Amino acid sequence: MTHLTRRSAVSRALRLAALGAVASLAFTGLARAEDLLAKVKAKGELTVGTEFQFAPFDFVEDGKQSGMNKEIFAEIGKELGVKVSFLDLPWPSVLPGLEAGKFDMVAGPATITKARMERYRFTSPIANATVAILKKKGDASITKPEDIAGKKVGSAKATAQLAQLQEFGKTLPTPPVVQEYVDFSQSYADLGAGRIVAVANSLPNIAYLAKTKPNVFEVVEPPFGKPVYFGFIGSKGEDAKSLMDAVDAVLVKMKHDGRLAALQKKWFGTEMATPDQVTEASF
Amino acid sequence: MFDFNLIIKSLPMLLEASVWTVVYSLTSVAIGFCIGTLMCAAGLSASRLGRGISAFYVSFFRGVPLLVQLLISYYCLPLIGVNVPSSVAAVGTLALCTGAYLAEILRGGFLGISPGLIEAARMVGLSRRQILTRIEVPLAVRLTLPALVNETTMMVKASSLISVVGVLELTRLAQNIATSTFQPLEIYLTAGAIYFVINGAITLLGQLAESRFRLETAR
Repeated sequence: MTHLTRRSAVSRALRLAALGAVASLAFTGLARAEDLLAKVKAKGELTVGTEFQFAPFDFVEDGKQSGMNKEIFAEIGKELGVKVSFLDLPWPSVLPGLEAGKFDMVAGPATITKARMERYRFTSPIANATVAILKKKGDASITKPEDIAGKKVGSAKATAQLAQLQEFGKTLPTPPVVQEYVDFSQSYADLGAGRIVAVANSLPNIAYLAKTKPNVFEVVEPPFGKPVYFGFIGSKGEDAKSLMDAVDAVLVKMKHDGRLAALQKKWFGTEMATPDQVTEASF
Repeated sequence: MFDFNLIIKSLPMLLEASVWTVVYSLTSVAIGFCIGTLMCAAGLSASRLGRGISAFYVSFFRGVPLLVQLLISYYCLPLIGVNVPSSVAAVGTLALCTGAYLAEILRGGFLGISPGLIEAARMVGLSRRQILTRIEVPLAVRLTLPALVNETTMMVKASSLISVVGVLELTRLAQNIATSTFQPLEIYLTAGAIYFVINGAITLLGQLAESRFRLETAR
């Protein structure tokens, strides 16, 4: 199994159940021979599966979806001339839903990893997903990533971020004591409560958190993990190729005319350079 | 530390989502009651086929976790060309599942009616149909009322699973708000209190029905 790069409030059992229940789907080749882009345009609607629990990309504000995904997809919808509708599901259900043809593509985003690239097609990356350290505001004992040596650090179970933290820990004189959480929000709560001194997670997520709670949290620069990126996800099938190409074209265009940088500045507080396409993942 | 403002701010949204919880669970129980009645009738019938179908139905829907049933209906049925929308998958699966439990609850009720009573009814010249509609069904429902209320409250709680097929309900919204505000304690306590109130109301209705149709007078 691949490392799931995301938090999830749902247990690992659910994830297994979801995968088990749909395992056969992968081998049967769904009856979706029709070209997906043509279908989306004919319907006038692009349906996107995602989870509203991944700030700053997707989260709930006053009971409604908010975040960077909504704004990026608004641009994609405008360029393709279609309406965009989102479907909120627990993360372990999102990729199976894509394979069952319940939606046209997945937002997320997810870390572009080698294992995932074998099964899915990623869009042009929209953010840097490299792992960094989040600490309590004003904690002078941690000024660089190496300072977590021997200290209690949290991350979420079964994520690529956790794997990177453990790998990084091995390079330190005394490895940190790693505390694993079901999802990242619990680790943030424990950091706030002082039960751990740092949390390791992808830069955009903790940058957003530090931005929304500047009196509580602070990001330790620079990131320590291998450089990885966040991308949206689509099916690898032939029928989805035209749609994914079209979405890629819009994203690359947004990178070059500064629209993506403006959104990054708005949601992460800083701009991030991303390649037009990730052909080989580092992790 | 405890943020009452967040509760006050989130309460209208949570209440709105809890309406869906109530709608989905009660609709499912209503449909499930019809399924359960049919399956109970099949299970009690003289026909061997009917009993077989009922036994298979009950053992499948009672033996497979509801969560897995939901995932199958939403992600595996498209394979055989049945692509149901989220809400239909949710209500349908909940109803099929509770139908199995209700069938067994009702069967227990029918078996609990004393044979002497039916004999007496036959003696005074009631037809089979009259015996069923006037005596057996009311008595079976009355005898099983506590168990039926029990099953309904279970379904209200079980509806927290339907978010896996993309349906918004109370638990899902609570999770979404909790992870977006980083304040799980207040939100989950509120959500728990709402479930408690919903099930409290169902229990109260059940007690009203129980005292309205007292067993002593029914007998």
